[in-house]
Amino acid sequence: MIKCHSETIRTPLCDAVLAITSDTNAGIYMRENTFGHLNLRGNPTDKAFLSSIETVLALNLPLIPCSSVRSDVFSVYWLGPSDWLLMVPIGTESQVAADLRDSLMGQHSAVVDISSAQALVNLSGVKLPELLQKAIVYDCDPTHLPVGKVVQTTFAKTGVTLCRCEDGSIDLIICRSFSDYFTLWLRDASAEYGLAVVDACLSRPKVSAQT
Amino acid sequence: MLQIYCPYCQELREETEFSYSGEAHIARPLEPQQLTDAQWADYLFFRTNPRGIHHEMWYHASGCRRYFNATRNTQTYEIYETYPLGQQPALTCDIGGKR
Ligand SMILES: [Zn+2]
Repeated sequence: MIKCHSETIRTPLCDAVLAITSDTNAGIYMRENTFGHLNLRGNPTDKAFLSSIETVLALNLPLIPCSSVRSDVFSVYWLGPSDWLLMVPIGTESQVAADLRDSLMGQHSAVVDISSAQALVNLSGVKLPELLQKAIVYDCDPTHLPVGKVVQTTFAKTGVTLCRCEDGSIDLIICRSFSDYFTLWLRDASAEYGLAVVDACLSRPKVSAQT
Repeated sequence: MLQIYCPYCQELREETEFSYSGEAHIARPLEPQQLTDAQWADYLFFRTNPRGIHHEMWYHASGCRRYFNATRNTQTYEIYETYPLGQQPALTCDIGGKR
């Protein structure tokens, strides 16, 4: 039995993983990574908007569809032509949001802290491709979903944002309110492979620079 | 299942990511209070429902959450093009299609 560390696994995922039996040869490994999540909206053709963001993050927003950029501190995902997800170290989201709002003062833009609405689950393991094929119609082959690519699609009957990590694993961002559904589905789908839950890792995102 | 090209995500995605949102290029009357009931009803309820080429809105609900337009053949389901809101279709007539 894997022990669930409630200090590190914060979402309702915690309840669902308690019953999972540990398997050293598990085909699927699951880990929740906790970050602050900020949603950014603004006009990508407005140079003032872009430079205001860059001033705070020391990053250029990804403007290429389905791409991401990353620094040592932040990750930014493209969600739409005027819509980004910014992931910041847990605990800094209020300060980063305040800094962004200061920098964007008077501009047509929005910064919203959505940390409590979302959860990030990292999946890895030798059976990951098979598992993803059951849940996701999008082609998650590394040639189609390369490192750094961000895809919003469906996971079974809920929505998900996918991003391929440098180590070949996949980050899945789900609505926290769907974490029970997500985990039950995951347990069922990975029963034939074995599912192991890894302690939450509080390090920075492993997402690489955009492709 | 249809595969639909989202002009914002710029790739083909499965139909399950999208939802259909009705006929495109319907301009809201600038002064609704000036219209007769018949004109208002026509704006609200009456659609062309063509057999053949049709310009319609789709919503990338599970993806980028943007509306865009598509030119689709209502007989064959073939989608000829998709294009962002605010743009005009490249294809506007069809053999046998009434428009
Ligand atoms: Zn899209």
